[in-house]
Amino acid sequence: METTKPVNKYVELNMGPQHPSTHGVLRLKLLLDGETVKRVEPVIGYLHRNAEKICELDYYCDSLLYFDRMDYVNSLSMEAGFLEAAEKLLGIEPPERAKWIRTIMAELSRIASHLVWAGAYGLDLGMLTPFFYVFDLREQLLNIFTEASGSRLLTNYMSIGGVYQDFNDKIIYMIKDFINSFPKKLEEVFNLFVKNDIFISRTKGIGILEKDVAISYGVTGPMLRGSGVDYDVRKAEPYLMYDKVNFDIPVSYAKDCLGRFLVRYEEMRQSVKIVKQAINKIPDGPYFNPKAKKSLMIRLRGEGEAYGRTESSKGEFGVYLVGDGTVKPYRVRVRSPTFKNLSVLRELGKDVMIADLVAISGSIDLVFGEVDR
Amino acid sequence: MVEIVEEPAGKDKRKIFRVKKEDLIPAMKSFYDQGYDHLSLITGIDRRDKIEVVYHLHSFQKNEYIVVKTETLNDTVPSVTSIWKSADWDEREQYDMLGITFEGHPDLRRILLPEGWSGYPLRKNYDLSKVQFVNMDEDGNDYASFDPGDGW
Amino acid sequence: MKTGDTGILTTTMEKAMEWGRSNSIWPLTFGLACCAIEMMAVQASKADVSRFGSEVFRNSPRQSDLMIVSGTVTKKMAPRVRRLYDEMPYPKYVIAMGVCVIQGGPYNQGYSVVLGVDRVIPVDVYVPGCPPTPEALINGLITLQKKIRGETDR
Repeated sequence: METTKPVNKYVELNMGPQHPSTHGVLRLKLLLDGETVKRVEPVIGYLHRNAEKICELDYYCDSLLYFDRMDYVNSLSMEAGFLEAAEKLLGIEPPERAKWIRTIMAELSRIASHLVWAGAYGLDLGMLTPFFYVFDLREQLLNIFTEASGSRLLTNYMSIGGVYQDFNDKIIYMIKDFINSFPKKLEEVFNLFVKNDIFISRTKGIGILEKDVAISYGVTGPMLRGSGVDYDVRKAEPYLMYDKVNFDIPVSYAKDCLGRFLVRYEEMRQSVKIVKQAINKIPDGPYFNPKAKKSLMIRLRGEGEAYGRTESSKGEFGVYLVGDGTVKPYRVRVRSPTFKNLSVLRELGKDVMIADLVAISGSIDLVFGEVDR
Repeated sequence: MVEIVEEPAGKDKRKIFRVKKEDLIPAMKSFYDQGYDHLSLITGIDRRDKIEVVYHLHSFQKNEYIVVKTETLNDTVPSVTSIWKSADWDEREQYDMLGITFEGHPDLRRILLPEGWSGYPLRKNYDLSKVQFVNMDEDGNDYASFDPGDGW
Repeated sequence: MKTGDTGILTTTMEKAMEWGRSNSIWPLTFGLACCAIEMMAVQASKADVSRFGSEVFRNSPRQSDLMIVSGTVTKKMAPRVRRLYDEMPYPKYVIAMGVCVIQGGPYNQGYSVVLGVDRVIPVDVYVPGCPPTPEALINGLITLQKKIRGETDR
């Protein structure tokens, strides 16, 4: 009697780095049983741009531009994160007006980031229409950034000790115009998602992330708040002017992809609330610290070490700077939130369908400039 | 007895503790038991004659942030993956960038750069002028070499 | 092309092919870094690229004519860019979008960035900027269309 050889039950599949639904250059090595994923191993590093090394070769003020390019949909929050550490290290305090301007710009940038995420997440799940709505809304924000800084996406607006350029009346008018019209339009986009049965059935109950797993893997941001932990750096360790404005932290106890979507939606509304309060509180005065004016900026020397942490749209963004008394940093280390959030995909991607894996990896909000740096 | 020395705080006003390399695991366990359940960051710093490894710990309950430092002369540090799972990728990244061997790490490979890359880029003595090339084998895995190969 | 008095259009086969080809360039969905966000903005409503016949972003290289290399090409990614280019059918075109793709951009003193994607694949049109605005990318696309129709010198 002839014996048949046992057939290998599992199939190995390579997904990425060029894949339409992985938000960039993520590569996943999958082990499949039919259509069920048994094991998933993310392979990263396809956008490793040696930012940490180049920062060591540049002046403190020049390092800022590499932070712009880390989380490129949220560049103004990245700048605020770097300056949080750099200003502590260099001992330069920005004036109050600059702090308010930074708060406003960081929040507007958070809205832009969440909008891009929502559009891309819709594309992941097969919805094309919201993409056009969110990019239309985002275009208004980019007009504000262009008016303030001269650039659309990678603004390089903030600088050590202040901001590059003062707010004028036109920018304030544009921001007021935006925050008045935005919530209504956002609700329109929101209804496109949550009144769609396919979207609900593809996200509800998918990608359950338990609280203790999330904390053990160092997950922060909307991922953590989507798992029911009430934690936000803006409240826990207020920076800029977040202790002078009134806002809430949205938390979802559903722990699934839909919960994370709802957290991000509510965050956008809270950001509008912050901007609404902040725009009326901007005091008159200088917009940069004279100790860090442009001609003196490359002479700034830092010694010791400082760690600054901020809440970017993805989670806790930390910058650890070590100086040795020269005009260049000795070591720059970035705590990128998506790097940690992505590492939990190994847990989330067990025993799910391939189609759900796309929904889960989309809900992490991956931006590869920040994962790989 | 675990010796934990408190140092003067840095410019960010966070508490700094220094432990010896041999005491790292018991010290970290005691910090974990005190409620520091979130390992935020692992940083390796090349001090030319030694390597300093810095751990940033955070406690969700106490809302406190502390810094733990240790140093090594022979590039090996015990791994803390048994305490925090988030140490896994962080330690792999520091191995990749600085060549610190974390003893007891389950899967210590390069993470950002491909296999076969020579040198550790964030070392101060890394030679930036040597150009390396990356090629892909038939299984889709990358390997680096000084030889351009086809396609370059 | 000549129009006669009878309203009949006469042209050569090649001209007609070039005209059709240049007005239906299908790009590959291939986002690498920052510039990919501006490439998405080109698709969106304000700078609508479908006015120029390029709205069909294909997910497979087998179905696309144009590769917009949008974002820094790292050394680890370069073999894959090359393979995707090899998988595209002829005639195929490449737009290098952004300074990182052209010469390494702000990262050109580092160790892991390819100093120009033209070291790996041939490039037809360079669009400078960091990142280029959607208008700049559309200008690059129109330049490529002119190139296909043989209206430019090179």
